[in-house]
Amino acid sequence: MDFTFTEDQLAFKEAISRFLKTEVPPEVLRDICDTEEGSTSELRQKMAEQGLAALSVPENQGGLGMDDTAWSLLTQELGYYAIPDSMADTAYVASGLLTALPEGTQQREQLLEMIAEGSIRIAVVHGVNPLVVDLHLADKALVEHEGEVHLVSREQFDCERNTSIDSSRRVSRLNFSASSASKIAGADDGSGVWAETLNRGALAVAGKSLGLAQRMLDLSVDYAIQRKQFGKPIGSFQAVKHKLADVVGGIETAKPTLYRAAYALANGDARADLYVSHAKLACCQAAMVAARHGIQVHGAMGYTWEADLQMFMKRAWALQASWGTAEFHRQRVADDILADGVAIGPQYTFEG
Amino acid sequence: MKLTFNAEDERFRDEIAQWLETNLQGEFAKLKFRGGPGDEHMFSEERKRWEQRLAEGGWTCIGWPEAWGGRNASIEQQVIFAEEYARAGAPGRVGHIGEGLTGPTILAFGTDEQKARYLPGILNGTEFWCQGYSEPSAGSDLANVRTRAVQNAETGKWEITGQKIWTSLAHESEWCFVLARTESGSVAHRGLGFFLVAMDQPGVDIRPIEQMTGTSEFNEVFFDDAIAADLIGEPGQGWHIAMTLLGFERGVSTLGQQMQFQNELNELIRLARSNGAARNPNIRQRLAEAHTGLRLMRYNAMRMLSDTEDAGSESSALVYKLHWSSWHRNLGALAMDVLGPEAEMLESAPYNLTRMQSLFLFTRADTIYGGTNQIQRNIIAERGLGMPKEAKGR
Ligand SMILES: Cc1cc2nc3c(=O)[nH]c(=O)nc-3n(C[C@H](O)[C@H](O)[C@H](O)COP(=O)(O)OP(=O)(O)OC[C@H]3O[C@@H](n4cnc5c(N)ncnc54)[C@H](O)[C@@H]3O)c2cc1C
Repeated sequence: MDFTFTEDQLAFKEAISRFLKTEVPPEVLRDICDTEEGSTSELRQKMAEQGLAALSVPENQGGLGMDDTAWSLLTQELGYYAIPDSMADTAYVASGLLTALPEGTQQREQLLEMIAEGSIRIAVVHGVNPLVVDLHLADKALVEHEGEVHLVSREQFDCERNTSIDSSRRVSRLNFSASSASKIAGADDGSGVWAETLNRGALAVAGKSLGLAQRMLDLSVDYAIQRKQFGKPIGSFQAVKHKLADVVGGIETAKPTLYRAAYALANGDARADLYVSHAKLACCQAAMVAARHGIQVHGAMGYTWEADLQMFMKRAWALQASWGTAEFHRQRVADDILADGVAIGPQYTFEG
Repeated sequence: MKLTFNAEDERFRDEIAQWLETNLQGEFAKLKFRGGPGDEHMFSEERKRWEQRLAEGGWTCIGWPEAWGGRNASIEQQVIFAEEYARAGAPGRVGHIGEGLTGPTILAFGTDEQKARYLPGILNGTEFWCQGYSEPSAGSDLANVRTRAVQNAETGKWEITGQKIWTSLAHESEWCFVLARTESGSVAHRGLGFFLVAMDQPGVDIRPIEQMTGTSEFNEVFFDDAIAADLIGEPGQGWHIAMTLLGFERGVSTLGQQMQFQNELNELIRLARSNGAARNPNIRQRLAEAHTGLRLMRYNAMRMLSDTEDAGSESSALVYKLHWSSWHRNLGALAMDVLGPEAEMLESAPYNLTRMQSLFLFTRADTIYGGTNQIQRNIIAERGLGMPKEAKGR
């Protein structure tokens, strides 16, 4: 297996990273926290202009046709800057879902074109992820119902809003009654599509969590260098160094699981569930450890509202159970490796 | 070792249980299970009145000597009090700093005059205290305090100038005990004094610090020629007194804290059973682990408090803070995992946390205040195991 990315992918990631760095510094995040609606349409528009909206829409529908591996890089950037916007839900998860539906499915091509143009927000609602980010802003929702795919417009569903521990996130539950009118694909097509969609949702969370972990690490390293106690930078104490070394250990070992899973999804690997769950577990765990050690290194300062760290920690905590809890994903790994007739033996050890 | 209660202890138990039942009524009924860790900002006025009610019943400072208004209660009785207090869901004690820290310090180091002046306010629940140790550049390195105390040649009064930070409940307190430098040019733990300073005076400015919980339990406190009402002990003795006080933090009050932990764990178990999380094998195991960790803590505390010749009891005191803080931090994380995706949902806008969220967020600080986990480990290794001291930069 080859973990190298194409030059296009890397250049794109670099461009997005620079863009987010200037557009969404922590002050802007704080402003977003204070608004009623959360993420702003200006930010969304600008991200679309950068090409994020069109990233994985097929070229036929005006997109760039990139696959999951590109998103495994970009979601890390979205996480690193704690972008509260649900861009990846539309441009990655919903776009992937629509692309996977048979050509000619009602509204499929039209919606994909709108995604590529950046003119629509589509939320994806699945039982594993009952709290949907930015549902209140969504123009449409793609909803799982007994394996079928339903498409509902904003005026057809009711949105039960909640406030999150992460003040920049706006999460809601969806209430709607499924009908034959809302159904765009039956369970025969739908089941496979939903399995893939769940994986994309989880993988997007994994990538963001990993980006958040890196951000918390960077903040903590900076702090450990600046803050002095006992006449020395606290970063000179082994206890502090070792904590942060463990954080980087968690991040670096999680990274290849993310890429492995993205590759599996992009190539329709039959064991994609296994790889995605592994990535979700490893990346979320890396973020949990980064938060735990990050606040520890910051001392009481890390416990304040004023320190930026809290925004990244809260996002990481909120993402922990989104698109499947750790228990859910561990169960999926167990289901795979403990299945009857699973291939075990030296000739399989390093397969996949 | 002795883990039993005699008949007199059991009568004591009935008495306090009865009293709490009769008194946690009316205006105090709403205080049940409130004001604990992460919830300190709630109902502070009512909880102060509750302290006074406790005092009327003779239920504050029960471990103090009778001469100073206490009951001279035995360790067993203090344990019983803590148990019954928690069982009844009686509110978090606003008076705990005065009762648990200031009082014992004054009893140990104060003059009779000082005892007569300060102890009654604590005992009666009319005067509340905060702890002025930490400063911006003196956190783990507490001996680096820079706040100065200068004796005014005319009045003979000590005047305090400097900044304290992270001062919990300063805005609710009449008094602060302040660690300040009495000897200019002195460094580290030499040349410090332990002062008692009234908060309501022109030279004291209290500014709340917003915590990541969205509430402000701690503050910055600026002293600008604030007049200290008293110096405890002698100038230069401050470090010794301050450290002795920290030892009280590990005393019987920890038992009350454990009862609170037990309430939290019970609540979590109830939640896990009602939302189905308890069916998950991993959650089950973690709940079991939380239970055994808490029992272990209880036995450890009982052992520390036993009047024992067992040489291990000193080490058991040294490891105690590290153990409970890590246990509690893990409990907070478990609470979030029991709730699953709903863990992120607030009670209400704009930022009202659910009890489990308060628990989770507050427990992020447990491994920091009162000596961070790293500092605790250094103490265990250096003081407990006699290992060489880590090199310091000053
Ligand atoms: C909720 C809360 C309430 C508080 N209430 C009070 C109060 O009422 N009164 C009061 O006086 N203070 C209070 N404090 C302050 C508390 O005592 C300090 O936060 C604590 O002592 C740590 O200091 P610091 O925050 O400056 O962290 P720092 O000392 O800056 O530590 C930062 C990091 O460096 C590590 N570190 C520092 N030195 C070493 C070393 N030598 N070896 C290894 N690692 C090291 C620490 O472990 C930590 O991980 C409170 C704090 C909190 C969070």
